[in-house]
Amino acid sequence: MRKAVALLLVLVVGAGFYVVLANIPFGVDKADVANHYVRNGARETGAVNIVTAIVVAYRGFDTLGEVTVLFIAAVGVGAVLLPASRPAAEEKTEASLIVRTGSRVLFPFIILLGAYILVHGHLTPGGGFQGGAVIASGFLLLYLAWPGQGAARKAFSAVESLSGLAFVAVGILGIVYGVGFLGNFLPLGVRNELLSAGVIPIIYVAIGLKVGAELAGVVGHLMERP
Amino acid sequence: MVSPSLLIAIPLASAFAAPLVALGSKKLVKWIPPLALAADLVIGLVLLPQVLDKVIVVSIGGYPPPFCINLMVGPLGLSLAILISLVGLLVSIYAMGYIKTEPTEKYHVLYLLLTTGALGIVLTGDIFNLFVFFEILCIASYALTAYEKDRPGTEAAIKYLIQGTVGSTFILVAIGFLYGLFGTLNMADIAARVPSAEPLHLFLILAFFVVGFGVEAAIFPLNAWLPDAHSSAPSSVSAILSGIAIKTGVYAIARICYTLMNAQGFLVFLSLIGVITLVVGEIAAYRQKGDIKRMLAYSSVGHIGLIVFAIGIGTSLGLFGALFQLVTHALAKCLLFLAAGYMIYRAGSKKLSDIEGLGRRMPLTAVAFTVAAFSLVGLPPFAGFMSKLSIFCAALKTDRAAYLGFAAVALAATVIEAGYFFRVIQGLYFKGGEKLQSAAGVKEAPATALIPIVVLAGLVVAIGVYPQLVTDVLDGAANELFNRAAYISDVLEAP
Amino acid sequence: MEQVANYMYYAGGGGLILIGLYMVLAKTNLVKIILGLSFLDTGIHVLLVAIGYVRGRTAPIFSEGIADTTAVVDPVPQALVLTAIVIGVGVLGLALALAIQVYRHYGTLDVAKMKGLKW
Repeated sequence: MRKAVALLLVLVVGAGFYVVLANIPFGVDKADVANHYVRNGARETGAVNIVTAIVVAYRGFDTLGEVTVLFIAAVGVGAVLLPASRPAAEEKTEASLIVRTGSRVLFPFIILLGAYILVHGHLTPGGGFQGGAVIASGFLLLYLAWPGQGAARKAFSAVESLSGLAFVAVGILGIVYGVGFLGNFLPLGVRNELLSAGVIPIIYVAIGLKVGAELAGVVGHLMERP
Repeated sequence: MVSPSLLIAIPLASAFAAPLVALGSKKLVKWIPPLALAADLVIGLVLLPQVLDKVIVVSIGGYPPPFCINLMVGPLGLSLAILISLVGLLVSIYAMGYIKTEPTEKYHVLYLLLTTGALGIVLTGDIFNLFVFFEILCIASYALTAYEKDRPGTEAAIKYLIQGTVGSTFILVAIGFLYGLFGTLNMADIAARVPSAEPLHLFLILAFFVVGFGVEAAIFPLNAWLPDAHSSAPSSVSAILSGIAIKTGVYAIARICYTLMNAQGFLVFLSLIGVITLVVGEIAAYRQKGDIKRMLAYSSVGHIGLIVFAIGIGTSLGLFGALFQLVTHALAKCLLFLAAGYMIYRAGSKKLSDIEGLGRRMPLTAVAFTVAAFSLVGLPPFAGFMSKLSIFCAALKTDRAAYLGFAAVALAATVIEAGYFFRVIQGLYFKGGEKLQSAAGVKEAPATALIPIVVLAGLVVAIGVYPQLVTDVLDGAANELFNRAAYISDVLEAP
Repeated sequence: MEQVANYMYYAGGGGLILIGLYMVLAKTNLVKIILGLSFLDTGIHVLLVAIGYVRGRTAPIFSEGIADTTAVVDPVPQALVLTAIVIGVGVLGLALALAIQVYRHYGTLDVAKMKGLKW
């Protein structure tokens, strides 16, 4: 009975999708807002990766909201889980020698890759979120190799808060310099160089550290529970 | 000149700073939400006279709209922002003494971010930004509902999360379709291009938006999560959820129907949904004898139905009535949950039969509860009387049979509402003294709880006796919502 | 055939959303329902990126040696999907934490048995 109703609802929704999507031609240029970004983005913001220019400069407020969502998720996971009833160090089987040795070797390279993606967000595909996720996966590898060790929760929490504050501070500095909240107040520099594009690299570094710390913290919370 | 972007930046920065403060001293963290929200309230009130004259359009990032995200601070947005800051401030003062389950600093961070989300929703002028702040609000409320970590709270939270996420996906689908059809995400730009699209497509997109935002607004039949969530959450969380969070869903629906899509034909259907929600909510509330918070939660469902009915009336007076009812319901329902919180805590149980006789032991709390209940039912001289009167006047003025019928049904539902509220008040004052002779610990609520309770009760009475306090602002707000052309030109031709 | 090839990506994204919706509505195991939420998220992301695709164009990155007048795809939906993916991850993390907590209280993940709160 319940499955029949579910199927019916799904078919109705699918019909709705079909009617609208049939009218949105696939593969056809549709936007003048997007054309403005593409033609003028590199010149106005200094970043050659237009998606980065949109995410950080044109629609930076959305990005601020997005890091806030991740922050809420990290704090929320900490708030809704009961503390572990027995210390996590007991009852965990040890990881094998291969995993432990491999993690020790791989961890610095993973962090290096994450930092590279993070810092070059305005020049190559990638950016703060992608780099932060890679950094968090490095920490996940450490959890898998040494499951008994608790996560450095206070350090992660401190890094999270400081980078979040840095992002909002850059925004407020924009007000102080007269270009509005989250406006660009640093020189745009030469295109295709690492130190260019105004505040974009700074914001992306802050976002990358924040995302890395948050995802690692969430995974640590979930893994520590028996 | 104070920048309105501070209205969102201040609570956000305080929420990010709170865990750092907690590393130093946990006791200080509970002062951060009241201070941040008080700052917001002051900034809002300072900006209000200027905004009533001419709206402020702030473009984030300095680029001209529609190539950036802009905040559209008009009378509607700013009046709702002031309401959110005021109610948020009072509930945070209450929570300073009420929240004892660990980890308390995380509660305050989540609470501050919930109010930030609500402020972002009412102030933004970009549809995807609306979605992002809506998600901030929703995720903070999922986490806060489960805060007590007990069995009913966790179950209510997971059900709320699942239904809310399905709703959010529908919103995102609708935003995707809007972008595919029009190529822009700025609300004023979309509003300007809407006449060029086919009505069928617009209707489908509108339907997806109403379903998506309707989950949070708790209109029938999407309200299954609300009674569980609002009754199992801690009382300060129930207060802010019932008072503010569900109203933002209603605001989003109103903004999309009027400003974005100008959906004149859909409004009758919206009123029908509103009236059905009203009837379902009030009847279900009447049947709750075992749990006072569940009764209050169903009453919230009923009042949302009333507000949605008023939005569907389609005239400026109808919108004014809807906004007025939104304000009075937020104040009164918040007060009811705050008062009930301590009554339940002192009596040790949520059952109506167990809080009988508390009128003598907790005089101030019980009087405040009574004031709020009378206001919701719509008795003069309280605020609810004026707001319900404006809604009924607006419905009668349209002279259309459908709306006259709906108004009659709404009046009948008000009688039911009076029934269950009077039952509680009768129990508070006129019954059950013997049961509590043995309960020695029942005394009045502490000061941190009494301050917000007394202030809210005072506001309810003040607005009832002297409605001019809010009617000018709400009139300007209703006009802003009704007048699409002005909205479009204000944003797109901003210097 | 031309039509099918044209709308394949829309059908894929829409189909994922519909599969996710069915899983959330019809399944009774909490982990399967959360998996359905993940399907919903993935489907809408695919659909958004597909809406932004323009035939025959390349990625919107003007590195060394790429002229400023190169034709590129629409970058706005890609930015939207970036935000939506992160929001989806946040919700999923919270959902899994709540599922752990529910299992602690009830001992089962069967949603039909969670009738602690009634009408």
